[in-house]
This record gives sequence, structure tokens and C-alpha cells, in this order.
Amino acid sequence: MPLEILLVLVVGGIAGIAVLLHLTGKSRLQVLTPDTASEQWLRHFPDDIVVDVTVAHDGHAALVRTDTGAGLIWSFGADTVARHLRDFDWLHHPKGLEVQFHDFGTPHVIVNLDETERSHWQHLMEPA
Amino acid sequence: MTDPVSFPDAVQWAVPFFIAAILAEFLWIVIKGRGGRYETRDALTSLIMGAGNIASGLLLGFIAYAFFMWLWQITPLNLGTSIPVILLCFVLDDLRYYWVHRFGHRIRWVWASHVNHHSSQHYNLTTALRQTWTYTFTFMMVVRAPLILLGFHPAMVLFVGGLNLIYQFWIHTEAIGKMPRWFEAVMNTPSHHRAHHGRNARYLDCNYAGVFIIWDKMFGTFVPEQEDDRVDYGLVHNIGTFNPLRVAFHEWVGIWRDATQPGLSLRQRLAYCFAPPGYSHDGSRDNSEQIKAKHLDRHPEDRGTPGFEQFDVKSPDAPAEQA
Ligand SMILES: [Zn+2]
Ligand SMILES: [Zn+2]
Repeated sequence: MPLEILLVLVVGGIAGIAVLLHLTGKSRLQVLTPDTASEQWLRHFPDDIVVDVTVAHDGHAALVRTDTGAGLIWSFGADTVARHLRDFDWLHHPKGLEVQFHDFGTPHVIVNLDETERSHWQHLMEPA
Repeated sequence: MTDPVSFPDAVQWAVPFFIAAILAEFLWIVIKGRGGRYETRDALTSLIMGAGNIASGLLLGFIAYAFFMWLWQITPLNLGTSIPVILLCFVLDDLRYYWVHRFGHRIRWVWASHVNHHSSQHYNLTTALRQTWTYTFTFMMVVRAPLILLGFHPAMVLFVGGLNLIYQFWIHTEAIGKMPRWFEAVMNTPSHHRAHHGRNARYLDCNYAGVFIIWDKMFGTFVPEQEDDRVDYGLVHNIGTFNPLRVAFHEWVGIWRDATQPGLSLRQRLAYCFAPPGYSHDGSRDNSEQIKAKHLDRHPEDRGTPGFEQFDVKSPDAPAEQA
């Protein structure tokens, strides 16, 4: 196949599918509740015991305390990703907090928090 | 000597069909309200990975091709290009695929390339196109050497390999439940390959087949999809990025970080590169055997069921357990 035609097909096809999905509402983030956050945490870490869950007001992240320490779970497209808060840094962010994992495949996540939430979360994230 | 043998690049010609089929699957899900899930950024990443795979083939394909042409020059055998020979080549190349794919899950160096195919938590036709950019660096082209030395022309070997990949496209769907029984018995199907994409303990390291599921049955890696254990797609440790560059290279970066950390023996460094994924020198990670053993501790009732056959039903202590 001529390279130009292949290029047009590939670029046009990818762009067309992405626009179609976005316009039909497929870009929505998963919204977490305390129950789904806990359920999802156990999906990622089935050996843990969840102690309690604090969901951010926008429902796109939750701080999970477990028998093996605190962890963060957040909406990742229609799904979730979760990490224990072991090797991490956090920074102030205009929207709340930015948590950095020293991991090339999961570099950082921005958690939307209001002022009262932010100080509470900072307290919870401190290593026990 | 001129070389008159030429075969079309099947994968490139299949691109319009891929696009049409993705649109059809999406439409089907919208109309029926079931049969799969699509998410914008997930699909976009998968499609970009697919385009990058074609680009890396155009850029790096010459390395494998030069190697194959060198083999072709030293082999005294030439089986020609008759239809029966092409069919035989297709079947033997599928056996080749089985082993490359199995190595891809059991040797971290090869997994670093293959992992991105499993890095989506979705399972739809776009997932099929989430393909590696770094296959050349795995050196898995050597597994094709016997075929060429046996007298199958390199162009034919690459052609049937392309057909193999195209076959695997349509099985990446939840829109099809089960195919007819005879078909499920012989061929790789959406059901068998869904299990392969599972991160559930039961489905780890199963169903490596490309086209014919019989290889898994022959070599003891077949696990049928279970109705009471819904497949949870993705990786044991799901990644938190849609960035195609991070998706393509994250496991290579992981190998580098692990193998170059201070204070390890040479043996431990090599294990970080070549042992099965989940190896760690300090026991801080679990490989698939350990994950299965831990699952059986929580769910003893699953002992001896599909995917857990290697754990003896009678003995209460599973092997490879770690504190
Ligand atoms: Zn695989
Ligand atoms: Zn697949």
C-alpha cells in the first residue's frame, strides 16, 4: 500500500474514532463512592483489608486506609488505578494535591480537593 | 541471484477493515446496550500503539529481514511456494507464535515488549491493536529461524505471520459469547482469548494461542473461560497512564531500575532481566505462582479447578508461598 494512503487512513481513522467516542459521552470518568472505592481497592489488592475510605468531593479519588498502610485510588477513564502510599511525594496544586509516584508507568495524579479536604488528606497521608 | 518471491503486506492492507470493524463493534454495543465497553482515551492510546507498531515495523523491520535473508542464503532447502506449503507454513508459524507468546509472559525481557498489549483494562477491538513498539529488541525473531532453515521462504513466513495477527484481531471482543463447540475446540476464540487477558489469579499464564487453541491443550496451558469467574482485564499492577510513550517503554524502564540498583549479585541482576515477571530479590513482589497460591489461601474452594491444577488438591501447603 502506498505510504501516503496508509498515513491518511491511520490518522483519519484514529481521529474519527476518538471524536466519535468523545461525542457519545465515552470520556466520562468513573465516580467513586466509599463502597465502590473499597470494592475497587480489593480488586487491585485482594490481600488487603480495608479499614476506612475517604472519597474526594468530586468522586474521582479516594484515600484508602488498609492493614498494610494508606493508599490512593483514583478514576482512570472508566476504570480505576490504585497505589499504596509508600514511595511517593506530594505537592500543593491549585486544584488540590499532586501525588507523585516514582514510577514511569504511573508518574503522578492530581487530586481535586477543597481547602478543608486538603488539610485532612495531608494528615491522613502522613506515614503512620 | 534475484529473488522473485514476493507476498503482500497483509497487515497494512487490513487497516481499512480494522477501522470498519471497530465502528461496527461500537455501534453494536450502543444499539444492544451490552457486549463490551469503550472509553475515549483508552481507545485512542490503543490505536496510537497500533500505528506505532506499524511504524516500528517500517523502521526496524529490516533487522529481522536481513537476519532471515541470511538464513535463507545458508539453508540448502527450498520448499517453494505452492498452496500446501503455504498452509503448512501457516500452521508451523502458529506453533512459533505460541512459543514466542509464552516466552512473552514468562521471560521479563520479552514481557517488557508484550506487556503493553495487556495494559488496557478494557477488552474491545481497539485492544487488539494495542501492540508493541519494541519487539525487535526482544530478539524473538530467532524463533522463526527453524522455519526458514527448513526451506520456507522469509517473505512467506512474514506473510503468514501477518495473517496470524489479522486472525487475532476479531477475537478481542466481548460482543461474541461462545462460538460453536467444534470451533471452540480447535480454534482460538473470543472466549479463550478473554481468559488470556485476565488478571484474575486463575487466568494468569494461560491460552497463549494465536490461531489454533490446540497448542495450549498440547502443552498444558489451556484454561477455559469460567462463567463464575468473570475476566478482570488488564495487568496485575495496572498502569496509571494513557501516554503512549510511557505505555511502550514502562517495563523496559522498570527492568533498568531494578537491575541497576546497588548491592545486587550478578545473578540477581540477570533474574530482574530474564526471570518470570514478578521476580524480586527481596521477596517484595509476587510472580504468578505466588499470586495463585495466595488466591487459594483466600479461596480454598478453587483448589484443583481450571487454572489451579498445578496445586495438589490434597496437600494443604501450596508451593512457592512467601510471607
Ligand atoms: Zn499475551
Ligand atoms: Zn490479545
